[in-house]
Amino acid sequence: MQLIRSLINQISWPWRPESNREAGDAVVKSFLHHWFPHRVSLRSMSWGYSFWLGTITAALFFILCVTGVILMFFYVPSVERAYWSIKDIEYVISFGALLRSLHRITAHLMVALVFLHMFRVFFTNAYKNGSHPASGRRFNWVLGVVLLVVTLLLSFTGYLLPWDQLAYWAITVGTSIASAVPVVGESTREFILGGTIIGQNTLIRFYVLHVFFLPLVAALAMIWHFWRIRKDGGLAVIERVKEETPPVEKNDITGAGSKSYALMGVASGTSVHIVERQKLTTENSVSSSPDMVRRIIIVLFLTVMVSTVLSIITHAPLEGLANPSVTPNPAKAPWYFLGLQELVGYSAFVGGVLIPGLVVLGLMLIPWVDRSGGKIGHWPTEKSEKKWLALGGLAGLALTCLAVFIGVNFPSRELLGNIFEHQFWFDLLNPASGLQIAFILWFFLVRKLTRSTRTASLSLFTAFVVAFIVLTIIGTWLRGPNWDFFWPWQIIPVTPVIY
Amino acid sequence: MSQNKLMRTDRLLIMIAALLFAGISLVTIFIDTTPSWKIYQKEFREVASEIVNQEDLAKIPRGLQQIWVEELDRVDRCTTCHQGIFWPGFERAPQPFTTHPDRELFEDHPVEEYGCSICHGGQGYAVDRHGAHGFVKHWEEPLLAGAVAADYNLNDKNAMIEINCNVCHRYERETDGMPYINHAKDLIQEKACWGCHVINEKGGTIGPDLTSMGERHAEGYDWSNFSGFRSSFNWHMLHFDEPTSVIPTTVMPKMGLQTKDRHALSMLMLSWRDENMPVQYIPGFEQEEILLPLETQRREELLTGDGAFFIDKGCFGCHSIQAYNIQSPTDKGPDLTFAVDDVHVRFRQSLQEFIFDPSQSGTMSIIFSSKVILTDEEKWELIDILTRANHSYKSQQSNSGNH
Repeated sequence: MQLIRSLINQISWPWRPESNREAGDAVVKSFLHHWFPHRVSLRSMSWGYSFWLGTITAALFFILCVTGVILMFFYVPSVERAYWSIKDIEYVISFGALLRSLHRITAHLMVALVFLHMFRVFFTNAYKNGSHPASGRRFNWVLGVVLLVVTLLLSFTGYLLPWDQLAYWAITVGTSIASAVPVVGESTREFILGGTIIGQNTLIRFYVLHVFFLPLVAALAMIWHFWRIRKDGGLAVIERVKEETPPVEKNDITGAGSKSYALMGVASGTSVHIVERQKLTTENSVSSSPDMVRRIIIVLFLTVMVSTVLSIITHAPLEGLANPSVTPNPAKAPWYFLGLQELVGYSAFVGGVLIPGLVVLGLMLIPWVDRSGGKIGHWPTEKSEKKWLALGGLAGLALTCLAVFIGVNFPSRELLGNIFEHQFWFDLLNPASGLQIAFILWFFLVRKLTRSTRTASLSLFTAFVVAFIVLTIIGTWLRGPNWDFFWPWQIIPVTPVIY
Repeated sequence: MSQNKLMRTDRLLIMIAALLFAGISLVTIFIDTTPSWKIYQKEFREVASEIVNQEDLAKIPRGLQQIWVEELDRVDRCTTCHQGIFWPGFERAPQPFTTHPDRELFEDHPVEEYGCSICHGGQGYAVDRHGAHGFVKHWEEPLLAGAVAADYNLNDKNAMIEINCNVCHRYERETDGMPYINHAKDLIQEKACWGCHVINEKGGTIGPDLTSMGERHAEGYDWSNFSGFRSSFNWHMLHFDEPTSVIPTTVMPKMGLQTKDRHALSMLMLSWRDENMPVQYIPGFEQEEILLPLETQRREELLTGDGAFFIDKGCFGCHSIQAYNIQSPTDKGPDLTFAVDDVHVRFRQSLQEFIFDPSQSGTMSIIFSSKVILTDEEKWELIDILTRANHSYKSQQSNSGNH
């Protein structure tokens, strides 16, 4: 019994520093405590505030690195061998099928989780600086958007590596969007592919990007992203903790909180995390060791477990060997680009270049567009916020469905083909452009009605999320051969076989 | 939530998470260490223990087996489960342990040069039943065995495999063991299909070129008027029955073909593939250097003329034989036209004595004892040829002298 008790103690991370001194020593000695502050507020620890989405994303990245490095021992990045080395991984390498399936499922989950994490940060108003002038949450939001883009690129570059029909044609569709960029489009595509067609040059480019360059960028950006959180005093919900606790005397702060770095002398002034620390008591916070470390281990365990179960249930697909002369009908991009592919169907320039460009730029600029203070670290609570959030969702649903309805039933090229000749007009007058303009108008409409930029942003963001989901669903399940529209109850013609 | 409560729930959670994690790890280890092929190998040992002796039983290999044919770029792991393929005695054993029904085929088609899937179809890389037999999505070459034959009501369950035979044997008019394809080739001549179609790169141009018909991807067929199961094979079956029912505008006439004819022809169509087979796999193909006409004639003379013996035994390497118009590339030794006389002059021996005991000549005793070993019969033949050479030379000389 004693043994079991001590075993449980060991597994569940027992170390709890008894004093600031002991915690400070640990920071110097231990890597983990360089990352984590001594105390973490109970509000930050709450499951319901953040859903630990960021931590899950980081855990997924960790799984991807481990499985990816193992797969690198078996995968051969050559046009002749790539596909067959995947077959070997699938059939004869110990745990090969599991590793590949796990790598794939965690990659998809990571894309999804990065989006969800971003949604959470937006909805909790957590991209804003709090009361302390030195905090940099706005910049951390931008870092987050960079990580979103890097994650998508990681997934996209990995998509080509199996060198099957799915890979070949998804990358064909994905990169042909680049050609829609005016003037430099063709040369950009050529630069990405290393030629005019997808071949050995493309494969080795994508491989190096996928296994070295992009993971490096992602890892560095993630370290910065995490470090920034610590320097900003923790999750944005800390602002609520500050509201709840009485102000601390200035003298107390300077006395107790200054920090010395042995070789660099005494740091001047007080930084955010030193000020915030004064607000954290034994009542409203826990020690990061063991409580937060333990929590992170729990999240890591559960993430590994759920991904493993999913990877056993859903087998990673491997289609026929890549064949440039046989185009699958329809050729579809990876799922997270299917919303864009739907819009590309209306106009390659608007759907493939303008909208994604505006979305990324718009996301990065959100903290500067919406500069109202508002309740930082809160899920929307006010009645009007909730109302406009719901209305935004409905507007997004209605406008997107309308755009697709027009796109399916009244293709602009058929409708306007007799009037216009130049591509410019089709890029201007199509459902994708209409949707984009409608969303912008919606933002200004809500802002005018509520006189609140935050509420308008919330409403627009919700509309955007809904549009993204709706378009992705349509692209994934309702588009069949020739990119024709099929209702779920309509039978999509089966692909013929040889025998 | 208070600090204590958080700690209590989290400690419970981490225990649950750790247990679940351990559980799922055990599940994955179980899945990975119990593939179906291990079960088949175990069963094979049980079956074999009743058929073969202890010594042979110990020779049964364990673990993954594969045949790698580098020339064909094929990897076949079929023998991982089909362990009895090369062993006589398992004819009555259940699949997958049965002996190959036609082991004579291996004489011309050694398995280490061909593998399995090149003839049988299927997915050689896979080691599970469905994957290996190729009845999975995205694998286009299924095992051409009973299941496929049954789909098209073919009574002979092994007939479909002839499609793959004919990838190499396409230019042969008749091939043993390929009744369907042979029949289809009969029909091609009987109906003179080449009148309208290019077949094997020759023929008329009214219909489409059929040389690479088997390469056409299933999606490349015209399915717009097709009802029924969409497969290339089925397309041909219906098209041979009534061409206009598949392509209403076609000018191809209805041939009045029986079901067997249509089976045979559909198989032939799918066998016309452009697979890049190494030349040594194509029957009837012999690697031969192409000589100038005069060179061919000269070689023929040397090999079959009166002096053929000297070419055959390699004598001409050192000796010319003027009488037979043989020029040595080196002329190291004397012209053998004069051997009869030479031997007398140089060794004071008759030709017969010298041939049977060449010890007088150091070089020739080495040659006759190591490089050119002649039987007594050949020695007599040699003496005869040399004597005739001398006579014919002398008579030529005297003939020309008379003029």
